[in-house]
Amino acid sequence: MRAPITRMVRDRVHGGLVLSAVALVVFGGVMVWAATLTMTGHAAMVQRQILGMAVGLLALVVMWLLDYQVLKAWTGPLMVALSLLIISPRIPGLGASVSGATSWLQIGSIRLFQPSEPAKLLFIVVLAAVIAEYGGKIDLPRDVLKVAGFAALPLVLILLQPDLGTGLVFVAIASGMLLVGGLKARWFAVFALTGTVLVGAIFGLNSLLVSAMNKPEGVLIKAYQMDRLLVFVDPTRDPKGAGYNLAQSKIAIGSGGLTGAGLGMGTQSRLNFIPERHTDFIFSVLGEQLGFAGAVMLLALYLALMASALSISASSRDLFGALVAAGLISMWAFQILENVGMTIGMMPITGIPLPFMSYGSSFMVTNLAGIGMLLSIWSRRYGTTTT
Amino acid sequence: MTTFRQLLKGRFAVLGVVVLVMLGSLAVRLWGMQVLSGGSFAAAAEDNRIREVSLPAARGRILDVKGRPLVTNRPVMAVTAQATVSEDTTLVAQLASVIGVPVDEITKRLSSYKAERLAPRILKVDVPMQTASFLAEHSADFPGVAVEESAVRVYPGGSLAAHVLGYTGEISETQLAANALPDARIGDVVGKSGVESSYDKVLQGEKGFRRFEVDNQGRVRTVLAEGAPRAGKDIRLTINKDVQAVAEKALSDAIAEAHRQGFTNAHAGSAVVLDVKTGAVIAMASAPTYDPSVFLGGISDADWAMLNKKSSEYPLNNRAIMAAYAPASTFKAIVAMAGLQTRLITPSTTFQCPGFWTGMGKQWGKWCWLHSGHGYVSLHKAIGQSCDGYFYNVGKKFYDAKGEKLQDFARTMGLGAKLGIDLSGEVSGRVPDIAWKKAYNKNYPEYQQWLPGDTVNMSIGQGDLLVTPLQLASAYATLGNGGTVVRPHVLSAVLAPDGSASVETSVTVISDPKLSATNLATLRSALVGVTTTGTGRGSFVGFPISVAGKTGTAQVNGKDDYALFACYAPAAAPKYAIAVIVEQGGHGGSVAAPAARQIMSKLFGVKYKTIHTTDVSR
Repeated sequence: MRAPITRMVRDRVHGGLVLSAVALVVFGGVMVWAATLTMTGHAAMVQRQILGMAVGLLALVVMWLLDYQVLKAWTGPLMVALSLLIISPRIPGLGASVSGATSWLQIGSIRLFQPSEPAKLLFIVVLAAVIAEYGGKIDLPRDVLKVAGFAALPLVLILLQPDLGTGLVFVAIASGMLLVGGLKARWFAVFALTGTVLVGAIFGLNSLLVSAMNKPEGVLIKAYQMDRLLVFVDPTRDPKGAGYNLAQSKIAIGSGGLTGAGLGMGTQSRLNFIPERHTDFIFSVLGEQLGFAGAVMLLALYLALMASALSISASSRDLFGALVAAGLISMWAFQILENVGMTIGMMPITGIPLPFMSYGSSFMVTNLAGIGMLLSIWSRRYGTTTT
Repeated sequence: MTTFRQLLKGRFAVLGVVVLVMLGSLAVRLWGMQVLSGGSFAAAAEDNRIREVSLPAARGRILDVKGRPLVTNRPVMAVTAQATVSEDTTLVAQLASVIGVPVDEITKRLSSYKAERLAPRILKVDVPMQTASFLAEHSADFPGVAVEESAVRVYPGGSLAAHVLGYTGEISETQLAANALPDARIGDVVGKSGVESSYDKVLQGEKGFRRFEVDNQGRVRTVLAEGAPRAGKDIRLTINKDVQAVAEKALSDAIAEAHRQGFTNAHAGSAVVLDVKTGAVIAMASAPTYDPSVFLGGISDADWAMLNKKSSEYPLNNRAIMAAYAPASTFKAIVAMAGLQTRLITPSTTFQCPGFWTGMGKQWGKWCWLHSGHGYVSLHKAIGQSCDGYFYNVGKKFYDAKGEKLQDFARTMGLGAKLGIDLSGEVSGRVPDIAWKKAYNKNYPEYQQWLPGDTVNMSIGQGDLLVTPLQLASAYATLGNGGTVVRPHVLSAVLAPDGSASVETSVTVISDPKLSATNLATLRSALVGVTTTGTGRGSFVGFPISVAGKTGTAQVNGKDDYALFACYAPAAAPKYAIAVIVEQGGHGGSVAAPAARQIMSKLFGVKYKTIHTTDVSR
């Protein structure tokens, strides 16, 4: 007897995940429309974002249909692919750098995508495969070193690009996955300590090199990155320069009040006071136009998304699947915290976009592919079934 | 399978809690920013987008008593620039050569005006047409620079009545801080002295405003609201342009006459003409004078230094109200009236003048200016011949009478205190008395006591007594109008837009010394004697109007004598009072009195011919 269609849907579709994802994508589309309303090229940007959604949907379906367990066997090639992806913008004839920060993969004059976005997913898959081998318990120094090595290689490569934002996302992903993967607490302490010492050393070396080589634009850490950090510590510093973005963003969000100025309204958005308002600072537009109500609605949707992902992770049939899901949760959670946090002065300003909301097709495709991976894990929670 | 799931259960819980805490803390922070302090952020957003500039109002004109313009406005082209222009040094350099203003001056002007970010800064007022059209044609090469219509003050009479009219200039930091004009901003043109200053509020009008919405670059997107400026009101003065011109001419002629008589230090002086009944100032001259147009568009440092150095004799000062002088013998009319009013003397009181007066003992003897003496002197002769000996006796009587009757009387005549004319900078002069001397010499106990000699000196208008030319004219106006001290004023009326008077100055009585008609008649007869048979005779020979006046020649330590003359006329039905003072001009009868005659010739329509006469009295 054929299984009733409802049963089939229930087996393969996680309702909470799909609903929250659809709601977020629609919400994001509306916000990109509203944020670009008074920008030149408004229509073209909205179109491009919709195209990103379409391609993302395709990626979602592909990932859904693909048995995620297959990926586990390809750790080696995937690691190579990940490394190539990260350094691809540096390969002559392939790379392009926009405004010094975002790197693009392009062939000729056709821009393809930002390799750092799919790199996040590859990083999750590779790390999940490595961690899964230890069966949920990592304590032997040899094991720890191996896992750390696999995590550190892409991290170092991305930091060398330099892409501090994606590097931080990698750190967040690794932390969440190692937590679920069973790394002992004391190793977390060791990593934290090592990381702190390394960061301190880099800052110290940077300031030494800056004065020694007389390069005020920065050597290891770019001057603009330094400014963003210092502004986070002291928002009144340089109110016309690095502090300006933060101040304008806070004014926009705060002035939104309880219900906001209304979609497409709001003087901070309309009159260009919010910088990068369709990409990194799209939350500022949302805060101004939809107020606290809109902001909380977004946070609730994120909560629903991540709760769904957590339930998928918990019901995965294998540790690999659980780890992939945990990696995706960590990725989103960190990006949400960092992006929303920077617009309200809780976090330093870095170039990390807001999942499903920020303008950018590579980003949208990556996030939707992540949803597809979660659905793939969910569909196969009882074993590998044919479709 | 179950084993790894159980293993992971706690870890998922940790991950879930971390996510909840993250989202929760974001929500809490958003609640604080958006709901609790949303108001202040909303205000900051409004502050971001709204800019307001004020639109200047046309300044009111200043007219003479017959409605003839003394100060008007002239439309000019002004070069203005946005503050951002200062960031482009090559542009500033180009601009400097085109408009002829030094680079650092342009930079200074662009960097000031912090109050209005959008308001263009005025770089140069009154640029020639060809410069204006050059900038207009090449506007693409001069971004942020504009040629705008503006207006500057015009003085049809040049320096005529400069001290009464005053000058205008950019509002100073101190004026701004004083907050006398609540909506004043840096860069506003305000009156700095004279009528321009005292009636600034009337002349200013009300500024208009334009409220814009701007984007983050400060570019105007829309005009939100606009309020048209309201032009300032015209004012009409009591000054008669023709009389003023003659008064200034008479004063400079008097200085020239002083030079002719050998008093070559004479450079300064003042002449005041009052309406005896109303206190209206018909003319007010002060020498040396200045050209108020040097202040237009900002006075140059060189011009400012010139107007303020010692050798310039301070031409910006209006000596008619800002300088106080010993009135010398012109004060004898006041002393005589004081004596009559207090009955210390009568019209028939006589004294013997032996030339050297010893009323306070031989060792304190004092000379009359006529060392040979006047013999038996009546009041009439004492005034007419300006006999010091007579007035030494009157002064001694005042001293012996105790109290301060002479000082009290001088004060009821309006001396020793500001008269309250509607011009800024008036000084009070000085009527010395016991309390003043004690306070003045508080560090020199041996000089604190009021001595008989103090009263005696005062009774011939010397000693520590000081009066302004305005006070002197006002005192003679009081003698002429039957005994009322009225407040002198220069404003006749504030005019409505149609030219009719909307606010007219009324006569304000300051005090009433209650002069008896008999005493006034006695004094008048004596003062007429001065111009017919006395020390002023030479200056008034052939003058058809009967003038009641008094000459004065003040001794000033280390300087040549100051020449004074004060009078009212016509003696029988007085209309005008005049005071003339020439610093270091020599004798009142031969230097100051002819100037008074010259002014009265204009007032009464009599032909005037230059007078050269002599006077040896004091």
